[in-house]
Amino acid sequence: MNRDNIVSVFQFFLLLFLQSFLLNMINLFGFINPNLYLLYIIVYRLDSNPTLLIILGFFMGLLLDLLTQGSGGHTIATLTIAFLRPSIIKFSFGVNYDVPMGMIKGSLLSQRLLYLLLMVMIHHLVLYSVIYFSFNNTITILKNTLFTSFFTFIMVYISLGLFKEK
Amino acid sequence: MRQLINALIKYKNTLLYTVLLMISLLFLNLRSFYHQSVFSNAALVLSSNINLAGQNISNYLDLASRNEKLIAENIKLKGLELILFSEQAQKDQAINSFAFQVLGARIIKNNYQSARNYLIIDQGYLDGIEKEMGVISSDGIVGIVNQITANFSSVISILHRDIKINASFKKNGAYGSLSWQGNHPKRMKLDDISTINPVVVGDTIVTGGMSDYFPHGIPIGKVLNFKKPKLEGYYDIDIELFSNLTQKEFVYILKNKKKDQLNQLKNESR
Repeated sequence: MNRDNIVSVFQFFLLLFLQSFLLNMINLFGFINPNLYLLYIIVYRLDSNPTLLIILGFFMGLLLDLLTQGSGGHTIATLTIAFLRPSIIKFSFGVNYDVPMGMIKGSLLSQRLLYLLLMVMIHHLVLYSVIYFSFNNTITILKNTLFTSFFTFIMVYISLGLFKEK
Repeated sequence: MRQLINALIKYKNTLLYTVLLMISLLFLNLRSFYHQSVFSNAALVLSSNINLAGQNISNYLDLASRNEKLIAENIKLKGLELILFSEQAQKDQAINSFAFQVLGARIIKNNYQSARNYLIIDQGYLDGIEKEMGVISSDGIVGIVNQITANFSSVISILHRDIKINASFKKNGAYGSLSWQGNHPKRMKLDDISTINPVVVGDTIVTGGMSDYFPHGIPIGKVLNFKKPKLEGYYDIDIELFSNLTQKEFVYILKNKKKDQLNQLKNESR
């Protein structure tokens, strides 16, 4: 077990507990809880095994749902985004993404922003669609997706800056 | 076998995703009553639609025997009807003395968007339709037969700018001519009512007996509003029709049995 794996496991549980015991209590404006745990899937090494990420994403969502008495929305959303991640990376960075680090230093800012936005927006859209699960609530789903994505995006962006400092 | 394994390896991520998605849906179903009800509702819709399709197919295959049953029932009813008819001969005499004979028809094409509208009905001269017969519906008048072929006829709708129909007030018989302005399929205008006649909003308008097309007294509509000129003269009256001509399906054609006599009389007095 090398150092990267230990860091990864540490990140997994840190983000999980941070999300379930701190961030889900925020309720900004009554309904906005930024989902920072998505950071784990965003910064997961680009060259690592995508199959493992799907399993990790599933357990991340499942544990989060169990800890927060959620209905299962996080499980499906996180699983989906982990499954879609290779496609999103290909779409945002182009086909040649064989760079080992999580966030690519050499990539353009616009490519990084596109990647982050796509990850966050798709995750939230799936999350709120599963939670509300009704066509009558389309407006609510879109509203929640938009606002929560905005705050999650800001938090993820700030956190990425913090990691870079290290 | 090797190919199968290769395919499995190639699509392992998708397969894994599908399996885990199923597990999460089960999890969702287990934990949330709302999602449980949505899922069971969807399952019910699906199964009931499949059942309905099966039902339709078995109904269709069963048609022949049903037809036989219906024919047997029809024969029985026809016998009863004939017995009734023989008792009803006296009533038929009253119908025969009425100057109009009634024929039924179905509207094939109904037009009401243009300024001069026509209808087409599925009866022609083989069925006894002649030109210039009046056409009515269950709740008002529809138009006048214009052209006939063997099996079809075209009818000038009353929603036609050039047609004028003799109409009168039900309460006092004051008569004028009814015409369509071409805007709204339920609004018409009644002209030539002299201001010496009292008019109230809501008065019923019926067909006047002056025309050969319609018998007197078929309800047409009621007064919606009216304008009285400053000096003496004629009212400007808006009528709202009782019948909605945009959604008619069946009509009745009135055959004036004494039209020959009328025409003869008109020609002689000319």
